Amino acid sequence: MHDIIHQLEKKREAARLGGGQKRIDSQHKKGKLTARERIELLLDPDSFEEWDMFKEHRCVDFGMDQAEKTPGDGVVVGYGTINGRLVFVFSQDFTVFGGSLSETHAEKICKVMDQAMKVGAPVIGLNDSGGARIQEGVASLGGYADVFQRNVMASGVVPQISMIMGPCAGGAVYSPSMTDFIFMVKDSSYMFVTGPEVVKTVTHEDVTAEELGGAVTHTTKSGVADLAFENDVEALSMLRRFMNFIPASNKEMPPVTPTNDPADRFDYSLDTLVPDNTNKPYDMKELIVKVVDDSDFFELQPDYAKNIIIGFGRIDGSPIGIVANQPLVLAGCLDIKSAIKAARFVRFCDAFNIPVVTFVDVPGFMPGTAQEYGGIIKHGAKLLYAYAECTVPKVTVITRKAYGGAYDVMSSKHLRGDVNLAWPSAEIAVMGPKGAVEIIFREEKNDPAKLAEREAEYKAKFANPFVAGARGFIDDVIMPHATRKRIARSLAMLKDKQLDNPWRKHGNIPL
Amino acid sequence: MFTKILIANRGEIACRVIKTARKMGIATVAVYSEADKDALFVDLADEAVCIGPAASKESYLVADKIIAACKQTGAQAVHPGYGFLSENAEFSRRLEEEGIKFIGPKHYSIAKMGDKIESKKLAIEAGVNTIPGYNDAIDGPDAAVEIAKKIGYPVMIKASAGGGGKGLRVAYNDAEAHEGFSSCVNEARNSFGDDRVFIEKYVLEPRHIEIQVLGDSHGNYVYLNERDCSIQRRHQKVIEEAPSPFVDPEMRKAMGEQAVALARAVNYESAGTVEFVVSGATKEFYFLEMNTRLQVEHPVTELITGLDLVEQMIRVAYGEKLPLAQADVQINGWAMECRINAEDPFRGFLPSTGRLVKFQPPAEIPGQVRVDTGVYDGGEISMFYDSMIAKLIVHGATREQAIARMRDALNAFVIRGISSNIPFQAALMQHPVFHSGIFDTGFIPKHYPTGFDASMVPHDDPALLVSVAAYVYRAFTDRSASISGQLQGHERLVGDHWMVIRLNKEGNENHPVTAKPIPGGYHVEYKGEQYELKSDWKLGESLFNGTCNGEPFTLQVERHKTKYSLFHWGTRADFMVMSARAAELLALMPEKLPPDLSKFLLSPMPGLLREVSVQVGQEVKAGEKLAVIEAMKMENILKAEQDCKVKKIVASAGGSLAVDEVIIEFE
Repeated sequence: MHDIIHQLEKKREAARLGGGQKRIDSQHKKGKLTARERIELLLDPDSFEEWDMFKEHRCVDFGMDQAEKTPGDGVVVGYGTINGRLVFVFSQDFTVFGGSLSETHAEKICKVMDQAMKVGAPVIGLNDSGGARIQEGVASLGGYADVFQRNVMASGVVPQISMIMGPCAGGAVYSPSMTDFIFMVKDSSYMFVTGPEVVKTVTHEDVTAEELGGAVTHTTKSGVADLAFENDVEALSMLRRFMNFIPASNKEMPPVTPTNDPADRFDYSLDTLVPDNTNKPYDMKELIVKVVDDSDFFELQPDYAKNIIIGFGRIDGSPIGIVANQPLVLAGCLDIKSAIKAARFVRFCDAFNIPVVTFVDVPGFMPGTAQEYGGIIKHGAKLLYAYAECTVPKVTVITRKAYGGAYDVMSSKHLRGDVNLAWPSAEIAVMGPKGAVEIIFREEKNDPAKLAEREAEYKAKFANPFVAGARGFIDDVIMPHATRKRIARSLAMLKDKQLDNPWRKHGNIPL
Repeated sequence: MFTKILIANRGEIACRVIKTARKMGIATVAVYSEADKDALFVDLADEAVCIGPAASKESYLVADKIIAACKQTGAQAVHPGYGFLSENAEFSRRLEEEGIKFIGPKHYSIAKMGDKIESKKLAIEAGVNTIPGYNDAIDGPDAAVEIAKKIGYPVMIKASAGGGGKGLRVAYNDAEAHEGFSSCVNEARNSFGDDRVFIEKYVLEPRHIEIQVLGDSHGNYVYLNERDCSIQRRHQKVIEEAPSPFVDPEMRKAMGEQAVALARAVNYESAGTVEFVVSGATKEFYFLEMNTRLQVEHPVTELITGLDLVEQMIRVAYGEKLPLAQADVQINGWAMECRINAEDPFRGFLPSTGRLVKFQPPAEIPGQVRVDTGVYDGGEISMFYDSMIAKLIVHGATREQAIARMRDALNAFVIRGISSNIPFQAALMQHPVFHSGIFDTGFIPKHYPTGFDASMVPHDDPALLVSVAAYVYRAFTDRSASISGQLQGHERLVGDHWMVIRLNKEGNENHPVTAKPIPGGYHVEYKGEQYELKSDWKLGESLFNGTCNGEPFTLQVERHKTKYSLFHWGTRADFMVMSARAAELLALMPEKLPPDLSKFLLSPMPGLLREVSVQVGQEVKAGEKLAVIEAMKMENILKAEQDCKVKKIVASAGGSLAVDEVIIEFE
């Protein structure tokens, strides 16, 4: 008995050291924390319950049977709490065989995923892995696929979050890519399907790992990742904050954080947010920040497809997902990237019972060959599909332009928007007055005076919220300063909303 | 009394005049340009008339439009405020012809005093001390250089019609005299429509002290003591106070009597200001100019004399007699004014324009704190007019008390969306030389020769900042820990021991603290000292009013990701707060250097790119002109900071620029 306890202590000590002090130091030198240090920062103090600390790989090829076995086999798994709420975690240990994924490593990940599904709790992956354990061959590949399959099964059941904190290359990228959110750490993490060397041989492109798949690349160019953080400490601290916005599973309502920010707080500065000149931009983020509880807006993908804003906030303590057109960028119009960005977010909110609040100032879809050849028809439809399919409470505020098909898309009444409100500056029309007049009165196109007159006429008729109001397409015209109060009331009214889509195996969203 | 007056001005002064008119039961008419249609003064006035486009040349400076507005609305009198047409004799005369009262001096007084050359002659005749100079018109830069040489450098070149520092140059040598003359003539022509310029001796180590006078149409005159406006930046007043820490009763009497003598010499009716340059060493004072209008800094005089100068101007214009004689004029306590400008003190005071995302001035307390402003929360600072957006005026029994109140009021002034000079004002308010009262108009260039940066605002109570950072972090953490859905029996317990990390340029400082909740706040222990902090601050609010061990304080808080920035007494302090263990791990994180932007010329402010002065491939020496940006009526020359070669010109002349927009790329 005593011997067993002694052995246990020894094994635990060995497991805690991972790949050994030398490799830990080297990990630190790279500006990275170890797998356990990361878990320590992520979870509430002393809340981590570790599983499979003694699990070892079974590989005997290529001298692996000779190599010293490290208990835990390169991944630390278990569960713990973030602000008292249950989460499951796996944290890959780069100090053990470069964090490479063996069959047993994969089994450990699968174990926590299975358990998370059973109890309904999020899975957080802290990725730092060189890729497949090559010595294991197909066993390792099988391991990946086992994880992939679970990612898919868990999708929409429990939230899955990936924090990329080191390399993540080749097939390994596909597990994070199927999770709900991907966060990355600048300068120390990268994700790509093929690395810079292969790229060089195949396409003759000279590119660094950072340029090819670093945090900045994926949060500005590809849109693969949702946020980029400065370092591990900031990343994990922000991840804790992020988790406060999302429910444990699809069976639960999002968590409530009590606030003393009054739900009926007026902000009169919003009355001047929209400039008189309809071509002048303004910052939609100001509205969001002034509407949500405690000015706490957790924005996602802030540097990608900036013409649309997505992120979480709270109203009266309860989380909401926010989607908003950003007039500062491309006049807030919808294009391929912004439609995909927002569609995926709306679907996440819908899957996890988070009400969607949409702020609309959209002049339409972006024209041009680049967009058409890129498939804006199909990609734009994603956002339309997502909103139409969505059954959580939907509150929409039109601040200015809601033109054309983009009006329909942006959580309109027609797509089962529950409460659609408009500011007095709202213009709900097929298109802007200038364009409309040029089409309707085509024969007068050589008479600028007449055209200007027609434009004024069109403006008077449609550049207001009343035409839509007369049809019931908006429920009310509200003063900008009262936006928070009106949203809060709408959401309170919608708290017990019941709406189901017809049974089907699954819809066929235009992928 | 008048029943309706028109205010031919904008911004804070229009609001200021409307306030008094309303108190007197007089209806008000605002005139406004298209750029000002949503301005506060338009909203405050009983009636408002649009008088044209944004450019003042086409609106506020067009007498015809203002006269038409008077006729249209039936306004019986016009208050011109300061600037614009306030010192335009022709305007005053036109109004008189139209039977409309000008709430200001008669046109002949303006004409005589408005011309710097004639005013000096008049001053000499009236027995007022003047400084040596050349009073006749000068034809051309070469002549200017000759005259400057005769007077002896340094000399001051000034627009005859100028005022408030506009159209003024100081030259220390022939080259500067040559260039200064030319640019002065240009600026004078553009700003005042009058390109005459004069040259005089530049008095070294001077104080700027001015006497407020008040005259009526019955030949009565009083002087309402002095204002010390020696704290100036590029000849623009920054801080004004009354009385002056330098002036004794004897001197006050001498200056006051000379000022009245001058006013009498031109039959001055209304409020006016006689400016003197005073030698700090000899106490000698020389007449500088007379401003025949209400001054920006008039509130400090109001606070120490108890008079409403705008009311007196209106009464005098109506024909009433002054309500007081010289013997009745009092000095009650000390008053001080800070001009709050939309400019970025950390970027060479470049103008800052845009939306006031937040504008929450400190609460006004009668007899202690007064805020004169023309903007509001959610308003817009346009690039068309000057950058002053508010005047913060305080009163105290003593100068020390006034300074203390000013410091508190500056702490509570919340401005977001644009930059303001509040940090700089706060720095001045704690400068020992400013406290001593012994300074001259060279104070700012002398003590801030390289401009202003954050290191010039050291905080004398860093423990307060550390404790508040702990408070704020703990408050956020406790809020998160109150979230629903926690595992029963395994709820989050927030610990009391934290590491407050102050982020400095030179490296981080770790401060271990304990922070425990107490009713209404947190108890912080830091370096063995106890700090009981109480506040009704709510998460997400910028303004943090609280008490520390019972002593009230005000500061501002912003949270950005994991960083907390505190703003207090002009200092910005950035913090992170975490467990000691997390701080230990943070120390392992590599320091990241900011990206190298030295290869680019970035626009330091929003504005119009007037010209790009270099070409692609050109070798440029440090100090050479690269581009000119126009913002807020001012031309700003961007010079090369180092020797470089132009690789690419990114922005094009004539286009508008955003802050940090790339103008030129270097090799």
